[in-house]
Amino acid sequence: MFTRSSAHLKLSALPKPFLIARSLVASQFRPIATSISASTQNFSPDGAHSILVAQRKQRPISPHLGIYQPQLTWCGSAANRITGSILSVGAYGFFAAYAVAPVFGWPFDSVTIAAAFSGLPAATKFGIKFAVTLPFSYHSWNGIRHLLWDTGKALDIKDVYRTGYVVLGLTVVSAICLAMV
Amino acid sequence: MASLFRPSLRTSAATAVMLRLGRPVTTTSSATTAAGVRCTAMKNLEILRQAGMAKKGFHASASRKILPAGPQVIQGTVNEAVEVPDPNAAHGSYHWSFERLISVALIPLTVAPFAAGSINPVTDAILGATIVIHSHIGFESMIVDYIPHRRYPALRKGAMWALKGATMLVLVGLYEFETNDVGITEAVKRVWKA
Repeated sequence: MFTRSSAHLKLSALPKPFLIARSLVASQFRPIATSISASTQNFSPDGAHSILVAQRKQRPISPHLGIYQPQLTWCGSAANRITGSILSVGAYGFFAAYAVAPVFGWPFDSVTIAAAFSGLPAATKFGIKFAVTLPFSYHSWNGIRHLLWDTGKALDIKDVYRTGYVVLGLTVVSAICLAMV
Repeated sequence: MASLFRPSLRTSAATAVMLRLGRPVTTTSSATTAAGVRCTAMKNLEILRQAGMAKKGFHASASRKILPAGPQVIQGTVNEAVEVPDPNAAHGSYHWSFERLISVALIPLTVAPFAAGSINPVTDAILGATIVIHSHIGFESMIVDYIPHRRYPALRKGAMWALKGATMLVLVGLYEFETNDVGITEAVKRVWKA
């Protein structure tokens, strides 16, 4: 990502002292006959520090995930974290809401929730259940895959793909089955 | 999609479109400062040059600035070595083993109540506590990954304490739910059969 031209772009954004330094370099190639007009500048330690900070901000940073080809390996890993956080946020949200419900006088107990859920249309019920069972299934199956890896097995690329496809298949089947129960 | 969260992406995307249309480019970065305005014209020139160079050079696309670099904290001198933490099994292998233990325990704890068809309040409470610990560890590793201590020390500390507070509240909620309501397994059954 760090082409000659992008280095050029960064130079233009550098603080003044850098540009002065640049012109200094250029001035060294002038004919000897002309007098050198550039002057040096003294900096306090704080000033030098701030230049360093500004310079560091110009360093190249890692590219965005979007430039990588989607592959089962890293997409599956990202999905593991995303599904896990969906489930955990859900669990935290539920129990935290249950803890504070009496303070606000919310009717938040299993009977009320089940009653509210039973009033929904069948398709909505399935949709909500599937929205829970899909991340649950994926995170569970992939969690088992992770535990398998932790024992040192199935770590070569062929097995990683094989187990990855197995997890995807099991996820779809079990998510649908659990949502239909 | 990412441009929803990152205005710099939107700007670069707009720049790319404008370049294709052959129109002059105006950068509309949200972080435009007075100095930035002054050198906008120069930047435009640079971007155009860069795009031209990119086609000729190694890259097929213009460079995209994603996230601005965070605050640069330099402690001591520039060449100070990174502090190596003391080896501590509690932060290393024990912690790792504990994480696996929690994960492994979740498998029978999740399956057993539904397979057996009966609900034991103690098993249910252990399941709830294990879920909370597993989630806490998960949130913790996300904070560690996405809020580097080196760069955002205050935010990191705040996030960790916020997580601790949330976990405490959740544990109170879990205790209340287990004592006053029917427990996780039975509650799930109720909703599922409703």
